[in-house]
Amino acid sequence: MEAIEHVLDRARQGNAEALSALYHRFLPGIFGYIAARVPDRSTAEDLTSDVFVQMVEGIHRLRAQDEAGFSAWLLRIARVTVAGYYRTRAKQPAHFSLPDTGWEQTQAGPFALQGSSPETDPVQWVEAREEWQAVVQSINQLTEEQRQVLVGRLLLGYDVETVARMLGKKANAVKALQFRALQSLQRLLGKSRRPLPVLQHQKKEKGR
Amino acid sequence: MKPREERLNDRLEQVELDRRFHGLGGQHPGEFMMSGREQEHDPEVEDLVALAQRLQQAHHLQVTPDFARQLEQRLLRHRAQLQLQHGSTRRSLFALLRARPALSAVLGLCVLVCLLSTSVLALAAQVTNPTSPLYGVRRWEQHVQIQMSSPADQAGLDLQFARDQLKTLPSLADAAHADAYHQALLDLDQQVTTTAAAVKKLPAGVQQTQLTSELASVKHDSIQVLRALLPRLALPEQLATTGELARLGDTVPIRSRVSLKLPVHPSNRATVSFTGLALQPGAHLLVNGTVSEATGTLQDGQLVFVVEWAGEQHPHSLGMLNPDGTAAETTAIGIEDAPGGNQHGNGNKPSATPTPHGNKPSATPTPHGNKPSATPTSHH
Repeated sequence: MEAIEHVLDRARQGNAEALSALYHRFLPGIFGYIAARVPDRSTAEDLTSDVFVQMVEGIHRLRAQDEAGFSAWLLRIARVTVAGYYRTRAKQPAHFSLPDTGWEQTQAGPFALQGSSPETDPVQWVEAREEWQAVVQSINQLTEEQRQVLVGRLLLGYDVETVARMLGKKANAVKALQFRALQSLQRLLGKSRRPLPVLQHQKKEKGR
Repeated sequence: MKPREERLNDRLEQVELDRRFHGLGGQHPGEFMMSGREQEHDPEVEDLVALAQRLQQAHHLQVTPDFARQLEQRLLRHRAQLQLQHGSTRRSLFALLRARPALSAVLGLCVLVCLLSTSVLALAAQVTNPTSPLYGVRRWEQHVQIQMSSPADQAGLDLQFARDQLKTLPSLADAAHADAYHQALLDLDQQVTTTAAAVKKLPAGVQQTQLTSELASVKHDSIQVLRALLPRLALPEQLATTGELARLGDTVPIRSRVSLKLPVHPSNRATVSFTGLALQPGAHLLVNGTVSEATGTLQDGQLVFVVEWAGEQHPHSLGMLNPDGTAAETTAIGIEDAPGGNQHGNGNKPSATPTPHGNKPSATPTPHGNKPSATPTSHH
């Protein structure tokens, strides 16, 4: 596998293969970060597109030489993009969004009860949607550093040292941030009395 | 026992290892590790590990293959478009220049002129010697900078330029740079005067108070520097420097009246008396711009020199060079004849008539030019 430093060099020169490689490597993390912060998948997809378009447009100016530096840069773009989204939304009048068919189609599995699906059962669809809203709200209450630790460790699969380099912190500080992030999330989800949808699904699987 | 955050991290790493191993179709390494760790089993840590796993697996956070594919295609198209735009901009410029050689010549000339003027301005900014041809450019640059600033900034810039001017003086304090020294001293004087005027124009307030204090500091520094330079200077520069010190507010000798009492007989001694302020005993007499060996003594507030005076010729100028290097000279000399004779002049008009030779004492100055052995001879 080609070292990330070489991929970065080639991507800076506009090489399509290198850009694709970076895109595939970082798409899950960036999408996960955004999807955990916005209420619906279509918004998450739109914002993820914006982030990667900015990556393509700005990579030739990037100074980072390693993966941690590149991740930090990309996550910074993602953070600014999400903040921009919330700023714009705050200026717009409140409205209810229509159900997104693509979203439900893909989510049918985890939320499915025997003999019913969110598509056919509107009550179940609303419940699932509300559950995820609670998760998003809880994640939005974490600090930015805590969110970035969770993304780095759980979605990008980095070890503690890489996340530490990404955040410019020591490994012990990252471990403490990780612990506090999960603890806070558990407390916040407990308050909302809504377990993660996937847990609900798993419990049902076990029960069967 | 390890702290909780350490244990949580160990467990998360273990789970990640398991996940990867399972992904590769291997045996579950966590099962072996768990047995050794059961003693450390902590329900809170396990709950957090479970939460982390659920987050990792949450389908809301997973990318759909369709979206991933479409976005990748969109990005590659966007990249190609960017490259095309970039290339066409570059190509169109080259094509235009190739098609119109006159335009490229003009552009080239403009670039050359810009480069040259930038270099000249950059070089001029470094110039400190007032005799350098670039010194004028530097002064012009400073002038433009000042003109383009607000009144408060103008005063600040004036102060800065006065400080810069002061810094150049020590490098010019030698015989080889006499002209440059005079010019630099004049420029310093002008700069300090301009600064004082600019500060005075400012409305009363904190800024004016601050700039006034900075101006006082510049004047104080100038006095210190000029005083230190005095011993290194030749007489004309010492005279000019003393004048500048006086304008900066320093205490320098000020003579209000000079009188010369000529001897009755040509072989007798003449008496030169200075009346004024801050006169210093031990000063040397200056006759027609040359230092004599005669030293003065203070008598009733007057500085008195008794010198051998051959002949009856009247000096063109008289002055004094103090032990601290300050000097003063005047052509307004009151001539008194020997007792019984007439008194000429009232100390305001030079009553002495220069000889065709310019009334120079015939004594030859030493190689340093400061110590002629003294007596002016008469020119008949």
